Amino acid sequence: MTTSPDPQVARPFDIREFTRTAQGNFRSELDLASYESEPLSAQELEFLRYAARLEAATMEHLRNLLVTATHKDARVTAFLVTWAFEKFWMADALDAVLEAHGLPRTRTVPEGAPRRSADEAIQRSGPIRRALAAVGLGTPIVAVHMTVGLIDEWILRAAYDHLRETTTSSALRDTIGRIQIIKTRHEAFFADETDWRLRDSKAAVRRARAALLTAAWPIGGVERAAVDRDMFETFVFGGTGGAARAESIGTRVAALPGMDARMGSVTAKKLLP
Amino acid sequence: MAFDIDKYAAGSERLGWDDLDLEHFRQNPLSPETLRTLRYMADVEYHTVCYTRDLLTTPSHKDGDISTFMTMWNREEFWHGEALGAVLEVHGITVDYDALRASRLKLGWRDRLDPIKQSMLGKIVGSDFVAVHMSWGAANEWSAVSAYKRMADLETDPVLGELLRRIAKQETRHVAFYVSQARERLQKSKRAQKLTRLLLSKFWAPVGSSIMERDDVQFVFGQIMSGVEGRKEMKKLDNNIASLPGMQGLTIFEKALDGLGVAA
Repeated sequence: MTTSPDPQVARPFDIREFTRTAQGNFRSELDLASYESEPLSAQELEFLRYAARLEAATMEHLRNLLVTATHKDARVTAFLVTWAFEKFWMADALDAVLEAHGLPRTRTVPEGAPRRSADEAIQRSGPIRRALAAVGLGTPIVAVHMTVGLIDEWILRAAYDHLRETTTSSALRDTIGRIQIIKTRHEAFFADETDWRLRDSKAAVRRARAALLTAAWPIGGVERAAVDRDMFETFVFGGTGGAARAESIGTRVAALPGMDARMGSVTAKKLLP
Repeated sequence: MAFDIDKYAAGSERLGWDDLDLEHFRQNPLSPETLRTLRYMADVEYHTVCYTRDLLTTPSHKDGDISTFMTMWNREEFWHGEALGAVLEVHGITVDYDALRASRLKLGWRDRLDPIKQSMLGKIVGSDFVAVHMSWGAANEWSAVSAYKRMADLETDPVLGELLRRIAKQETRHVAFYVSQARERLQKSKRAQKLTRLLLSKFWAPVGSSIMERDDVQFVFGQIMSGVEGRKEMKKLDNNIASLPGMQGLTIFEKALDGLGVAA
């Protein structure tokens, strides 16, 4: 079940306001002392480690976006520059919680081996293949990136919501809530861009549909460790209510311009453990 | 001295100019020449993300320090663009996202193939290529500091002078990062030194050359780097590059200014 508020999609998204008021370092505002008396469970810490990796992987993701026509759109790149900055500090806040438990910061912890499934091979393409594939695609690729970005936000929102619902730690609830407030604007931007771009172009819809068929979630998942992905899928989309959470995301995908029930169920199915 | 990336990230802020009275330009407008140079600088700053793209296609992005730096650097440079844009705006020159988009579209095929070329090179030479990027970045940032400082000295307007000095101060930290990275990586590998020397001497061109028209490049560097003082600054820049391991004797700035026909 979704408990966080739906972001207000004020149109058009005020990119200047967003860049001007970006959230930087907020480590000092976190309640870290309470973990001494009330430490988090091993499962929660594992989740935070993985979330920190996902939030920090902005440069990996930017690489894939910028080798395509997306880098030509100055409004989108202004967003991405700020988005990467905010995500850096979100990952840092998650690291702060891990460090409060005596654990090392994420970037110093080696990551496990990724999954090697054949159906995700295309997602493992390096920049050369991506750049070559994008030659001639033109601006519809921007719509694809925005759509995938939006769905990724929905997935992370479901994950953070579930963590807030299940944890007994009020300090963690506050920190995650704080992160989700920052992410609200990211979701609003992607939602705004996805909506008009998919309405604007049939080619964009075609490309987006094709991309969803081969997508691996969350974004950058193919680079992450197989064990971490298993843990994430089981925690967020397994167990009681898990399938319903995946289905809820599928329903939202189906409702996007040019998408349908098939695209919704393809996406929901990929989320399940 | 090693660059403290955590300290840099923690202290990274968007450039502030709220305390500067930009409205003062309404009574004391800047000259068309100055505005043209500022426009060039704003465009270059806004295009930082395009350079980032080229960096990211090589093994550089896997390095934690480098990706932290790039996150902050990109944002700082974006705000330099915004600051210069605000000055231009008071003069009725709007640098909006559509205009930037148009100039990126002009880059055309060459730009489209660039990441592929870079990436292939990156694959072939591996981590030595990171040394090239860091040295290249050092050359660019050194020249950015020089350009902003030179312009601040040449300008008599106190508000613009202050704004340019603030930008130059942030650029100085970028220099520190690139130089410490370049030095460390070049010291470790003779192969990296040879490759960097070759690519810098053959292909380095003043910041903005790849995205702006040639007459704009000539105009801007003529404005800020000509004359005795300009040449002095240029020598300083060449000496900086030559101080990197394996780069002794390189004169890439002199070559570039001569190539542009900038008067000594």
